[in-house]
Amino acid sequence: MTSMQRRAFVKGAALGALAFTVGGSQVLLTPGEARAVGVPFRLLQAHEAETIEALGETLLPGARQAGIAHFIDQQLSVPAEEALLEARIMNVRPPYANFYRAAIAAADRASKAMHGREFAELNAIEQRDFVNLMRQNKIDGWQGPGAGFVYFLLRSDAVDVVYGTVEGYQALGIPYMPHIAPERRW
Amino acid sequence: MATHEKVDVAIVGAGASGSVYAAVLAKAGKKVVLLESGPDWQLTDLISSDFWGRRIKPASGPFLLEGKNPFGYVYQAGWGVGGAALHYFANFPRLLPNDFKIKSEHGRALDWPISYDDVAPYYDRVAGDIGVSGDAKAEEIWRPAGKPYPMPPMKTFRHGEIWLKGFEAVGIRMVPAAVGMNSAEFKGRRACIYDGWCHVGCPIGALANPVVTYLADARKAGAEVRPRATVTRVLTNPQGTKITGIEYYDEKKERQVQEASVVVLAAWSAQNPRLLLNSATDRHPKGLANSSGLVGKYMMAHFSSGTWAMFDEDIQNHMGTTGAQFMSYDRYGKTSHPGTFGSSFITAGSAMKTSDLGGFANARVDLFGPDLHAFMQRAARGLTRIGAFGEELPNIENRIELVSDKDEFGMPLAKIVHSYDQDAIALWNANFEEGLKIAKAAGAKESWSGRGNMPTIHLMGGTIMGTAADNSVVNSYGQSHELPNLYVAGPGIFATAGASNPTYTIFALSLRGAEHLAEKWSTVAG
Repeated sequence: MTSMQRRAFVKGAALGALAFTVGGSQVLLTPGEARAVGVPFRLLQAHEAETIEALGETLLPGARQAGIAHFIDQQLSVPAEEALLEARIMNVRPPYANFYRAAIAAADRASKAMHGREFAELNAIEQRDFVNLMRQNKIDGWQGPGAGFVYFLLRSDAVDVVYGTVEGYQALGIPYMPHIAPERRW
Repeated sequence: MATHEKVDVAIVGAGASGSVYAAVLAKAGKKVVLLESGPDWQLTDLISSDFWGRRIKPASGPFLLEGKNPFGYVYQAGWGVGGAALHYFANFPRLLPNDFKIKSEHGRALDWPISYDDVAPYYDRVAGDIGVSGDAKAEEIWRPAGKPYPMPPMKTFRHGEIWLKGFEAVGIRMVPAAVGMNSAEFKGRRACIYDGWCHVGCPIGALANPVVTYLADARKAGAEVRPRATVTRVLTNPQGTKITGIEYYDEKKERQVQEASVVVLAAWSAQNPRLLLNSATDRHPKGLANSSGLVGKYMMAHFSSGTWAMFDEDIQNHMGTTGAQFMSYDRYGKTSHPGTFGSSFITAGSAMKTSDLGGFANARVDLFGPDLHAFMQRAARGLTRIGAFGEELPNIENRIELVSDKDEFGMPLAKIVHSYDQDAIALWNANFEEGLKIAKAAGAKESWSGRGNMPTIHLMGGTIMGTAADNSVVNSYGQSHELPNLYVAGPGIFATAGASNPTYTIFALSLRGAEHLAEKWSTVAG
């Protein structure tokens, strides 16, 4: 990306949106908007996206609608140095897709061992109980990135898309007060 | 490969310390080049968002993290001009006299080869150069008198003020925090508007980051900043008696050599030892400046004991600055807490946002689902915290070592091995216990300790200063004992960590070292 392109990108995105591909063109949308208009995933398989949404919704209701899967998918598709994921500042080694894929696989394996079904197929109470065990690193036979660490990072992603936005601040009744304002309310 | 025209000074890293060296030496008429591995950020890149603030930090790094308390690398590291000081909180406490002679006074840790009096004039100079707000007179209950700060203290807000009753109850005196921020317009830079986004970079110049202070001065004086330049080796002459320049890879990942009369290593505390170790030659088989074997040793960190409290009123915790409103050295004595050893530095009144590591949500990482929503609603109104930084003593086992895996330039990765000892753990616990007492006395409706993995903050050491080559890597100016035209700058040269946020001391020591180099130029570079 040239300096000029980066500036243009940052100006729009800065202010809020991320670059999604719609009809072959790049447009700036919030992850929630990308989900609402059905933007295809770039890297995530359908089941991976479904699992992220199910985990996100369990961790923080509203994360699905706020586009947690589209947020993560878009972030995994850009170079690591442009990524805005919490994983970046928690010392996860790029490519970050490796972490998310390993986390999803670990959750599904453990869910199958515990309930005979993958995580996204569990009912809401089972999902809540499973996540509560993840939080405490108390899932027997969990194989992959630490369950507690997966809980922490996906919870952070959920908080980002629900409460890290201008709308999130409004929902809490506090002003966003940016120096450089998110024009697309991100 | 291209070899560039020789310059007077090549500085590795355009963060806090490198910027000071560049400003001083460029103003002294030297031809200066700063090589920075990250981008050349502009103020307009500093977007007010927890998401976008992550972009000015590295995406991982060439370090493997080991030990009982692995060092938390990326959150506090820098990437690009300004370094970590582009997103620091700008708390400006200084080290105190009792930090400099711990071995002499207590028979533990290490002595610095200098005293507080050697550094104090530079604290005052830095304050005048870049702007510090605070009440220097009020600090004199703990330290020798110096010059007043150039600006009065910052505004305070209810989420900081609400703690004062609690501190008073346990006998801790709080004074206005010294911060590298503008409480009033300063040298053409705007006054702070208290919107709490300091931690993702201040784009209005009210916070004294290097981009608007020493680096701006350096550029005006003619220093060249070469972004996206990753230095891999420091080069020496065949005899191994002098530094001749550095090897680096440019934005196109092509190898370059920059010849220089003097090289200043001002990269991150872990990266400077990695470079020295990777620069081994037949004449310096253990790495440069490493006859003592101490390059990469005595890595140190701070730990913080955070106490959270929920008050039953709207305390406007989103207002203010990420830095502190109030501070105290009343637990800075090395034996302040019975049964522990080390200083503690106490702060209160940091603005908070919703997400990211320091946000509302991570005040209670155990909560999820509808409970997390309910907590967020309450936190937005009544949540606040205090913190006590604790001092880790230097331990030779906490270290940087090269490993066999290599980065994209063929340079070995390094591992940072870090574990806290029992002194640190005891001090961490003591500060938690006192924090809960303060919260209760302040009238908090709920309070809890921010426990979890013991945090590692502000990596220091690895190229420590001392009196000679057999006990240290550099002298008190940051000059190598063995290779006089090689300097190391930054918190890596600290002999002990104290408990104060390090950047004010980094600026002060860098100013001292840079002026020494300028003064002795013909001897050093000749």
